[in-house]
Amino acid sequence: MKQFEAGKESLLGLVRSIAQGDLSRSVQAIDQQGLYPESVLRQLAAVGGMSAHLRAPHGFNDFGLSIQSIAEVARVCGSTGFMMWCQAVCGLYLQEASSPALHGTPLSLHVSGERLGGTALSNPMKTYAKIESFMLKAVPVEGGYRVTGSLPWVSNLGPDHYCGAIASIAHESGSRELMFLLRCDAQGVTLKECPSFSGMEGTATFALHLKDCFVPAQEVIAEPARPLIKKIRAAFVMLQCGMAAGVIQGAIDSMWVVEDQLGHVNRYLEDRPDALQEERDAWLVRILKLAQTPFDDSDAFFIQVLDARAHGAELSLRAAQSALLHQGARGYLMSSDVQRRVRESHFVAIVTPAIKHLRSEMARLSQETMPA
Amino acid sequence: MSTLEAWREYLCKACGYIYNERDGDVDSGLQPGTRFEDIPEDWYCPICGVTKADFVLVEETRLGALSPRSSSSPSLTRNHCSSNRSSKRKYDVVIVGGGTAAWKIVEVLRATSQEISIAMVSQCEADRYDKPLLSIAMARNLSLSGLVKETGAAAALRFELTLLSNTTAISIDPSHQVLRTTLGSIHYQHLVIAQGAQSVLPTHLPAEYCWRINHLNQYVGFRVALGSSPRRVLVIGAGLIGSELTNDLALAGHDVILVDIAPSPLARLLTQTEQLDALLKAWEPLPIEFLGQTEVLGVKRASVKGYDVLLSHDLCLTIDEIVVATGLKTCDRLANSAALAWDNGIVVDPTTLVTSAMGIYALGDCISIAGETSRFIEPIARQARTISSQIAGEGLIPYQSQPVPIRIKTTSMPLTVK
Repeated sequence: MKQFEAGKESLLGLVRSIAQGDLSRSVQAIDQQGLYPESVLRQLAAVGGMSAHLRAPHGFNDFGLSIQSIAEVARVCGSTGFMMWCQAVCGLYLQEASSPALHGTPLSLHVSGERLGGTALSNPMKTYAKIESFMLKAVPVEGGYRVTGSLPWVSNLGPDHYCGAIASIAHESGSRELMFLLRCDAQGVTLKECPSFSGMEGTATFALHLKDCFVPAQEVIAEPARPLIKKIRAAFVMLQCGMAAGVIQGAIDSMWVVEDQLGHVNRYLEDRPDALQEERDAWLVRILKLAQTPFDDSDAFFIQVLDARAHGAELSLRAAQSALLHQGARGYLMSSDVQRRVRESHFVAIVTPAIKHLRSEMARLSQETMPA
Repeated sequence: MSTLEAWREYLCKACGYIYNERDGDVDSGLQPGTRFEDIPEDWYCPICGVTKADFVLVEETRLGALSPRSSSSPSLTRNHCSSNRSSKRKYDVVIVGGGTAAWKIVEVLRATSQEISIAMVSQCEADRYDKPLLSIAMARNLSLSGLVKETGAAAALRFELTLLSNTTAISIDPSHQVLRTTLGSIHYQHLVIAQGAQSVLPTHLPAEYCWRINHLNQYVGFRVALGSSPRRVLVIGAGLIGSELTNDLALAGHDVILVDIAPSPLARLLTQTEQLDALLKAWEPLPIEFLGQTEVLGVKRASVKGYDVLLSHDLCLTIDEIVVATGLKTCDRLANSAALAWDNGIVVDPTTLVTSAMGIYALGDCISIAGETSRFIEPIARQARTISSQIAGEGLIPYQSQPVPIRIKTTSMPLTVK
């Protein structure tokens, strides 16, 4: 298998140099023209930027390092940071898959960045939180399953990409779900272009239509899916904090840029860069502590992770908003990083689990279960 | 094209786009007036791309959304808030909890000052009721609606405080004096934790089969499940609450089986054999069966209704309802989030009731002094005065922890233990 170019110690430096080099030169095109930064993603994968949380030999079993790595990239480009998260959790699905066939070549190609993928778990996660119902249905057939249904807005997809997905299994007593690797080039799968979003362009986001798509048994990630979801739910959410950490840091960077010229008036604003930096750092310390026990599957731990994720989203909104106020007219230019970051911060706040979902789930998990 | 029927609207469950039959979707080739059923199956949502199968008729959905606000929706009864120049919600005092201890601190603070801004964060409606009545309500024939003395919303108006009801306090950031909740963050000058305690449920007993009665809502749920005809009820745990509930259920005509690993009811409280004898004698004519030195090994749903319960000594019972009363425990999440000292509860200074963090006080069932909890009503008013004296800057009224005489409300034979 391909060796990483980076050891654990040098990983963040390598990721940073890619982010501030090739990626920073493409940010405008990603945001304005919807350029999919495929080569940057492959470079980031090649240095191990999206697999530090995986077990050896693919990674260092270090979730904190993956979060920081995503943060380095999201600090420059939220879209790319988000796709790193997509790739990172998809790698986790492959690593944890019940089918050994997914542990070999598919995982190796994924980790090295030769293949890219995403996650279609927005709808199932909301279904488990009792907000939606499953949109994909699976029927067991000889050698696997046939899956039908459609999903909106799955990112980091392309004709030869894939994603982890969940379908409810029909005609069974009780509820049971199938988690599987959904290949975009499988027969019966159609990718549909999405309309333009206000931000987060270049994320290769498509709606997926499945019509009797055959999923062979060796592409099954988990069946039943719930035990695996319970195991990885905290890891799934905490990895998203990398995106928030980057967006917040990028916003703080933009405030310092204008401090010399505008500090004399900016001092009348709330949420000054030093105070935000202090709050961001304290928040990141909390995340990195949670990242030491990513597979704690207790509700108490999950509530802490949800709360930290909500705090990251709230802080992203405040930091981006404040960066705009700090920069004033120059931040109002369509070409300004600050302008883009405001839209990225909105995404951190609304992507599943959105702030409202996080709060709803914390409320639900805090209730004592009683007889019906 | 049929125009006899009213135009309908269909909602995309994925993104919220509404297809209106009157307008059609010209961009994807659906002319105005295209009925939903006439749309080809391969049409998809112009916004998010899911197919026709994921659309639902709007009327059905809207009725749900417009139906009266369910009583457990989070809501904000907002009164004055001493906001600084930012839009932050900031209060002089933020109280976590909506029970007796929480309302007591409000009462004492308001008696001291009308100016202090107060917010209360309660996981329920914060309705005011006397918790001890839950042990005797059936024998006294009290109506369930009559148990609420004043709704939380009405009390919030009367005391001029901001009530965040059906809102969970999630974590505390003591260095920024912020309480994070499921309704956003609140900044505080002083934080008072009156979060109470929760019933402990042994891990082998399924929560969805077993009632625990430590809150009015739980009690009301249990009473509604009992209905009006006599039922067969298993009470697990013959401590104070288990024995009081057993007594009350039996007086109301229910068959009660009371189980404990101890050889007699109230074993830890009753040290004088005369008291125990008097209680057992009072229970003799009542439909109470006490099973001492007995453990509940497992519970499963019975084939028709109720539950099959497996006990030690090879006993098996079929029961309508199960109540577990095996003790109380305070949730340590808030305390942990602020790294508050913890010893069986939130550790407070025995004189000031300040926790290990400056500006954070605690009172009631959630505190521990020298590792001991006290889950009685009497100390709460004195605790509230101690905390209020410090918040109002009046000079400390020190708290004195003292033994509380325990009144056991087994109404067929009330007992007092000192």
